Amino acid sequence: MNARIGKALVVGAGIAGIRAALDLAEYGYSVVLVERAPRPSGLLGQLDRQFPTDRCGMCRLLPRVERDAASADCLRRGLFHERIDLRLNTEVAGIEGEAGRLRVRLRRPSGGVDPERCAGCGRCAAVCPVEVPDEFNAGLTMRKAVDLPAPQCFPHAYALDPSACTRCGACREVCPTGAIRLPGAERRSFRILLVDDEWSVRDSLKEWLEAEGFSTAMAASGPEALAALREKAFQLMLLDIKMPGMDGVEVLERAKQISPGLDVVMMTAYATVETAVEAMKIGALDYLIKPFDVADLIPKAVERFERFAAAEDPPLTVGAVVLCGGSEGYDPLSGKNPYGYGVFPGVLTQVEFERLTSATGPTGGRLLRPDGRGAVRRIAWIQCVGSRDAGEEADFCSSVCCMASIKEALLAKALGGGDLEATIFHMDLRTAGKSFQRYRDQAEERHGVRFIRARPHSLTPAPGGEGLRIRWVEAGGESREENFDLVVLATGRRPAAGMTALAERLGLPLNPWGFIAAVPFSRCRTARPGVVIGGTCGGMVDIAETVIQASAAAAEASRCLQAAGGGQGAEERPAELSDSVLRELPRVAAVMCRCRWSSPPAETPEPVLFALGRDPEVATVETADALCTPEGRRTLAAIRARAGANRLLIGACRLLQQPARLRDIARDGGLTAGQVETADLALCSARTPPDAQAALFALRSGLARLKRSEPPAARPIPVAPAALVLGGGVAGMTAALVIADHGAPVELVETSERLGGNLTWLTRTIEGADPRALRDDLVRRVEGHPRIRVHKGARIVHAEGEVGSFVSFIEGPDGEVRRLEHGVVLFATGGREAPALGFGYGESPAVATQAEVERRLSDGTLPVGALDTVVTIQCAGSRREPRNYCSRICCPASLRLIEAFRERRPELRAVVLYRDLMTTGFAEAAYTRARGSGVLFIPYPSDRPPAVRPTGAGAVVAVEEPILGRPLEIEAQLVVLATGIVPALSRELVEAFGGRLDEDGFFQPADAKWRPVDGMAEGVFACGLALSPRTIPEAIATAEAAAMRALGLLGRERLFASRIVARVRHSLCSRCEQCIAACPCGARRLDEELGRVIVHPVRCQGCGTCAAVCPNDAAILEGFPPPQMFSILEAALG
Amino acid sequence: MSRSAVIDFPPRAARPDLSRVRRMIQACLQCGTCSGSCPNAAAMDFTPRHLWRLVMLDRGEEIFRSRTFTLCSACYTCTLRCPRGLPLTEAMHALEQAAHRARSKRHRTAAAFHHHFLESIRREGRVNEPAFLMHYFAAVKDPLLVLRHAALGLRLAARGRLPLGRPASRARSLAALFARAAEVEASP
Repeated sequence: MNARIGKALVVGAGIAGIRAALDLAEYGYSVVLVERAPRPSGLLGQLDRQFPTDRCGMCRLLPRVERDAASADCLRRGLFHERIDLRLNTEVAGIEGEAGRLRVRLRRPSGGVDPERCAGCGRCAAVCPVEVPDEFNAGLTMRKAVDLPAPQCFPHAYALDPSACTRCGACREVCPTGAIRLPGAERRSFRILLVDDEWSVRDSLKEWLEAEGFSTAMAASGPEALAALREKAFQLMLLDIKMPGMDGVEVLERAKQISPGLDVVMMTAYATVETAVEAMKIGALDYLIKPFDVADLIPKAVERFERFAAAEDPPLTVGAVVLCGGSEGYDPLSGKNPYGYGVFPGVLTQVEFERLTSATGPTGGRLLRPDGRGAVRRIAWIQCVGSRDAGEEADFCSSVCCMASIKEALLAKALGGGDLEATIFHMDLRTAGKSFQRYRDQAEERHGVRFIRARPHSLTPAPGGEGLRIRWVEAGGESREENFDLVVLATGRRPAAGMTALAERLGLPLNPWGFIAAVPFSRCRTARPGVVIGGTCGGMVDIAETVIQASAAAAEASRCLQAAGGGQGAEERPAELSDSVLRELPRVAAVMCRCRWSSPPAETPEPVLFALGRDPEVATVETADALCTPEGRRTLAAIRARAGANRLLIGACRLLQQPARLRDIARDGGLTAGQVETADLALCSARTPPDAQAALFALRSGLARLKRSEPPAARPIPVAPAALVLGGGVAGMTAALVIADHGAPVELVETSERLGGNLTWLTRTIEGADPRALRDDLVRRVEGHPRIRVHKGARIVHAEGEVGSFVSFIEGPDGEVRRLEHGVVLFATGGREAPALGFGYGESPAVATQAEVERRLSDGTLPVGALDTVVTIQCAGSRREPRNYCSRICCPASLRLIEAFRERRPELRAVVLYRDLMTTGFAEAAYTRARGSGVLFIPYPSDRPPAVRPTGAGAVVAVEEPILGRPLEIEAQLVVLATGIVPALSRELVEAFGGRLDEDGFFQPADAKWRPVDGMAEGVFACGLALSPRTIPEAIATAEAAAMRALGLLGRERLFASRIVARVRHSLCSRCEQCIAACPCGARRLDEELGRVIVHPVRCQGCGTCAAVCPNDAAILEGFPPPQMFSILEAALG
Repeated sequence: MSRSAVIDFPPRAARPDLSRVRRMIQACLQCGTCSGSCPNAAAMDFTPRHLWRLVMLDRGEEIFRSRTFTLCSACYTCTLRCPRGLPLTEAMHALEQAAHRARSKRHRTAAAFHHHFLESIRREGRVNEPAFLMHYFAAVKDPLLVLRHAALGLRLAARGRLPLGRPASRARSLAALFARAAEVEASP
């Protein structure tokens, strides 16, 4: 409905890829979304519940306006959007060219199940003899080599794992639709040259490889091998190093001249491994050490073959590429200390535990002890396994595991009942995010989760088979031991291997931790223009930040498309014309499929056709061949036209219920989706002839739906093209620039006299970048932008309206009031340092807040040279009621201040008094640096904060040292208080636009995880500190994300409601307002002047809650009329 | 030593120099893995973690009153397990050396033992038990120490593990080797 010129490639269909693809598609671009796995939704597809809701909620990523463009279905099952071309089982083979014109090659494995044909009957998996660990259940269960990628996948497209398949062909024989192509059918054409001077070696290689279906040729010496290469093309050469005459290395060099693309694997005795390594430097692919096992050799040959045989899709040209390849789990077995993982069955990783709690997991969601001794009663979580560990080359925090463990502990308590004991062993418990701290406190206080600050060093089986014993040492030095039934390792995350390889091929630099590096101050721009990153492939972040960064990446990609001439596509009109057909009397063409794939061909029994034809509104009943094929679609269109029918009833199978197919059928037949209905008669997958009675019921319910379907109430809402951005800090300016660069006018309102916000006083970030340069650049671009109007010293005095048509009145410094019309509003009002209270603040000049010290440091009024000892007090007011949230930036800020002091005075002593040091992600490296440079870190409990006693020019800070168990008195010349961040949001203003504030006064997003920058009302967004405390790059990411979400609305002239939307029958309405209270979308309000309940058709998401609570049947759901529902039920029940 | 004694930081009085040990362990996270994994922790008066804290706070004199580092059996479990990859076993030995250099009273006996043990090896190329014991007891000047060891000595002698004469040995003096080692250690 809103298509634009321009296409983007999104790599990876996890939540980041889905978010980025949907954002680009909502704005109007075409998107090719590729995913290597056979199912979308990535890691999150394996996790059933996320905090704080303890539900999934992934569907909240789906579009809110123009909902019909996407299938309103579960994203864990599948993704459908009319502008997204989702390609599963597909990899990127190469990307060349420049931003705006990138040529992309995509590759698929040689064999597999054709999703267009698979009817999901499952016969292939039933006969497959090969069992391998099921990745979906994290290896806890087995699956077949051809199987469903996940139990919830829809359509039930089975997938074939080429690395596990033995090519026995059993599945191909039973597949009723001929959907399976065996991998390696072309192995005969894959020629392998075997070069060895020993006949026995050559001959056994030949036997092994030919048994696998490959073609081989033999050569007994170097010259013979070269002659063979000149004569015929080979794809792989297995080459012995030690041969008389010409040795392997020389053969390799010459062979590469004859056939540069030839893959060569060296064969070597143990003594010449070094030569083999040398050979790899001059072009050998790999080496095998003799005597080698056939089990090592075959996979290498198969891997090379797979690359050779992989089917390449026709090359694409895209304007931008968004990499959302995610991360992969750390394998405890790869580390020095696996904590018994892989040895004791009761030791699990977090993902394995999540699968154990899932209804689709190995135990159906019951917490059973792996040793079969009944239900689980005691579970321990061990944090930081493979994270924050220099020994594992992981000098970073994986950011997500702490909260995941708390959620899992609560989940276990919910599943296992009240007496299940959950214990979390942690170093710092990192609750650095919106609402995280309160969630943790509730877990401890209300649900009794036990938190122990200790790092258990090992795990042993408890005597007498009583599970697993953990031994740890308390802060004071006492040794403790306890037994647990299950131990969950909070394994960290690592860069995904495939993503790293792709980044290297694309020439993208990696950061020191192995993730793809972003440019300074950005979370999504890489060193290569036109290639952006979203989500965890740039570093570990949680769901909310992943979603934010994916939207930010979409914004950046969209900019590239825009710059390459995109965005000028003509707006397509919705098919209003054919919808009006629905007002005409129904005239149904009923077409039954004759399945070509089943044998004998299955078709609907004659009596059913006869019974259907007796319905007066059925114009014709016919049977046609293979409706799932393009020819079948053409037949359908022809039958409909011949019969002059205005509705189409199809009797076929589940295949035709796929949203994409249904859409194609409707389009070919000149109909809308509401005019086509498919009944699943399971023709192709049925093992017995279709049951006439059941088929008739299914067809009659479809018929009932068609007859009663109503035309959509097309009430488009006009959209004012401008955006109002409140706040001229880094977030506001960034958002304004993104929107204005897409051609929409922006009104930027800043209450102060200058732009820049907190960037006016910050001088350096933890990464060492200078924010002042960023500020100058942003200010210059904003003030020079033709489509941005800056209102300085101005404030909003009144605001009203709804998405698409907000009206605000702003008062300038001169007192003049202006009226602005705008389609969306973005809150970028920022935040400021929380005021200091206590800790001797105000009593001694030596006690100052972080911002004060930062300012004094940059203007030179702080005598750093005279400082001998500096103490910083973290959480000075944060993370306890009433400000019970972590401000996220103060821990890194203190470390940065200490670094700045130390640069000028290296011998300065620094002491950091903290509760949990919140250096999430790569900020951990700054923590390591600070520790390594001798900064003293002393934790204090929240109920015993440090006491500051002013003494003349300095202060003495008293704190209990927990390890020594003794009081410590620190004589300091400077005490820095990390007080945290408070928002600067006006409740009245946010509420005037329909938004809400959270309990701490920050902006309340529509969903903390899945819609983190969207407000509770449509068209209202927030970014930067107004949302929650965050760093500059994080604030910029939220600004780009909010701008992208806003562009999804601004990019169109009118907003169309969905087919299914609530309406009020005013004559029946008693204005009891129950529907207003019940509406979860805030789409209903009472218009006092009209005396009526009004429904906002775009805000309404068609959930039907209002219809359920209305006592008078006055609230109804259009597109879901009760008479239709009743007649469907009637028909279904016969 | 009172557990509740206030620690002043930075220390007001002059303290033994522990900067070398401090540099080795100052990246410590105080996670306690070392203490948890130490097989001798139960016998120690301070756990290893406690000891590192004292090093960070410059409490040399308290450390030298402790026996923790002399109980280190160099099993290297802590070094292997340390998430920060710190050389903890070496740090234990560095403390031992520092204590020796500081002529800490508590560690005088151990220092004398080490000294005369090595001296015996230097002179004769192996330990001459009677001579070594004589020198050791003479240096410690503690009759109780002799009495404490008497029972063990008699048992060893009964089994022929404590030859009373000069042992028959082809070992030669290692004085040259010791001199060279001292030379190497002296050069930076």
